Amino acid sequence: MKVVQTNTATPIPMRDPAQVMRLARLGSFHQSRLSFMRVLIRRMTRENWTFSRPVFEIDDQGVGHAVYCAHTPNRVYSLIAFAHDLPAESRSDRVIAQAWDSTFTLFDGVPTQADIARLRQNVPLQEAGRVTQSELSVSRANRSVRLWEHVVSRLAAGEQPDEAEVEAVGYLMRTTAVYGSGKLGAADREMIAMRPECAAPFQIEMLSVFLTRTYVRDLAHHMANLRGGDKAVMLDSKIARSMGIGNSTGLGMAPFLLNHPILINNWIYAREEAIARVRNLQVASADEVKIFVDLFARSVISVERWKSVHPIQIEKLVVLRKDIQKLAAHIQTADLTTSAPWNRLFVWADENLGLDAVECLASLMLEPYGALVDSLVDQMSNNDAAAFRINGGMTVAALKTLLTANYAWALEIDWNAKDACARAWYVSEEKLEPRLGQRFEEPIAEYEQPLAPGRDAAALFDTLGAWDTDKPVANFLLAHPEHRHSVRRAQIVARAPFAEIRDNTIGSDLLPIDMLRCKLSFFGATHFDPRSDRWLRISLFGNAPYPEELQTSASDFWPYPELGLGLT
Amino acid sequence: MSYSLNEIEALSKRASRGAGLSWGIAEEAARTVRWLASHQLPGVPLLADLLDHMDQAPRQSFAPVSFEGVWSAASGTLCPLASGAGLNDCADRLSTGQPTEMASVSHPLLVVPFAGWAAIHIAAPVAVSWLGVRITTDGYGIWVHDPNKEHDVTRTVDLTCSPVHNTDETLSMPCLRGKVPQSAWARLGSLAHRTYAPATEQSRVLGAGAGVTDND
Repeated sequence: MKVVQTNTATPIPMRDPAQVMRLARLGSFHQSRLSFMRVLIRRMTRENWTFSRPVFEIDDQGVGHAVYCAHTPNRVYSLIAFAHDLPAESRSDRVIAQAWDSTFTLFDGVPTQADIARLRQNVPLQEAGRVTQSELSVSRANRSVRLWEHVVSRLAAGEQPDEAEVEAVGYLMRTTAVYGSGKLGAADREMIAMRPECAAPFQIEMLSVFLTRTYVRDLAHHMANLRGGDKAVMLDSKIARSMGIGNSTGLGMAPFLLNHPILINNWIYAREEAIARVRNLQVASADEVKIFVDLFARSVISVERWKSVHPIQIEKLVVLRKDIQKLAAHIQTADLTTSAPWNRLFVWADENLGLDAVECLASLMLEPYGALVDSLVDQMSNNDAAAFRINGGMTVAALKTLLTANYAWALEIDWNAKDACARAWYVSEEKLEPRLGQRFEEPIAEYEQPLAPGRDAAALFDTLGAWDTDKPVANFLLAHPEHRHSVRRAQIVARAPFAEIRDNTIGSDLLPIDMLRCKLSFFGATHFDPRSDRWLRISLFGNAPYPEELQTSASDFWPYPELGLGLT
Repeated sequence: MSYSLNEIEALSKRASRGAGLSWGIAEEAARTVRWLASHQLPGVPLLADLLDHMDQAPRQSFAPVSFEGVWSAASGTLCPLASGAGLNDCADRLSTGQPTEMASVSHPLLVVPFAGWAAIHIAAPVAVSWLGVRITTDGYGIWVHDPNKEHDVTRTVDLTCSPVHNTDETLSMPCLRGKVPQSAWARLGSLAHRTYAPATEQSRVLGAGAGVTDND
């Protein structure tokens, strides 16, 4: 067993939630070895999962279905894919779309013909359909029209696709929603949470996307074969490997962060704890330093390949690339082996670099230390049902102390100023799509969702001012039930310090993409590409092994493009 | 029809908000219905009926006037959600062995999940009784004594919640799926609909930030 040297005399604490839970920082997070795709790939590799494709019945119009099975040591999960012939005018990444190029469900077990017949009537309809507790997720994907046609036509002609074209897009299809946890009648998470392979968050959704990537590659081969006949060739494995599955993510994901405070706490707490453990190491071995330095070099390539046309992201990338160069120069001369090397490096970065580079470094520092940090994944799910209960026995004075400690940022804001509350979150009638509107310009205030915890905490604090500080909170809430949700949150934050985004979520300068990037970084997404201030595209499983490569490629560091094997 | 518990909770929360409940109580109403559904009890129909009856009514008149003595409401009828929330908020009182008594409670079954959460907090089972019904729970499992089929009444004159010591009942555990009659589901759906902003072209284009082609 590896001995980890730590400085027990003056341990470096975790970063302060007041520093971490700001939107600008959350919107600069990077994937790490605790990300959920990384967790899944590690497990599949470690447990020798096997994969099969018992059904692939797709005609020359690209219409039909396929089944992909993942065999774990104890059970089977099957992705059922329905392939459609979608007219261009129907292709939309929005939730309000009604048809897609392909639709999917992850089935618990191996589906029978009757299951497939039932699902064929429902899965292609997505939100308008209905599934059962045998189904664990429902999702859909659209082609990248440009790259799909390029790849299929090149392969049909016996040629490989242009690598610059592949790199510019990065995927053949992008998912536009992956629903799990009981949506549309599917199994609740509680039904599977006790299975070891489902213990970490979002493993079912990640497995669905992993299998979808294989289906998309196979479908491109299939269509190229039908078109090109004997001339057609298979996609070069290196090019195939570079391609992930795209994903378009919009505002639906932003409320998730606010509606699941304990879960978000557990994700961020785990990463912060991992960072603190590494910062507390007194020495680093040559092997550990080599892993870090190699992956840093591969990160530089990844950052170079990261493209966006959105002004906010373009500016962020300029700063990140400049900072990465500064960091590279510093690493060349820094002592990375003695005198708490990681902490010194991290402190230097914090003082000299922007948020994006600091968070990139924080994630990279964890890479050599799987044995030290990977088990933190076990704490990332939400098993704290008791946190929902309000402690009514708490005194008003104690509640005010909690608010002062954890919501100081909110108590300082003048919530009567128009800029401070310029936005309102609401749910549209159309497919219940979460949206963000202008409070003072649109008739939406009466539909506002409770997604402004800062404003509501400040209102609670204000109302508490008139109360006897010795009274129990239960009595206060009897008179003021409108503050129940805020009292609950304040008590949650007292036990889960990273539960609350400590920033204004309805201000005129809010960038919802910051919230999306935070969540997606925990999925393991890379190359965030905002399309506006409120939705973005990403790549999932880019550079990841395909099912048949899991055992031979056995690298835990797959998200980092390999040196000298670049596409261009 | 069979629904996931998440679906039941999500619709119950929206419907409760649509009927005018505060967000915090709506969250608890939703958990209440989820809990009952997991025990095959008719939470959805009872919540739909309660929300219809108290729709847009002044909520405070249905809340306990105080936590002293026998709880009662200014209107003469206690809301089971406001009462249940208070019961759970004051759960420590139950651990002293003192029962909580309530007068004239509507839809009393909706109080039971709150008693269950109080039981988890005090780490002892509690029993909720009204008419001939006695439901014992430790917050997870449940034991129902209901010889006259009165668990789903819409009103009771008295309700008592008391801690139970040394229960030797075998509690039945929750399942992970709920069956809901279509009529009740539709009633919750129409209340939930009030929380959805009507679609306008402006919100369709701006509200989610689209407006560019996806055929790329």
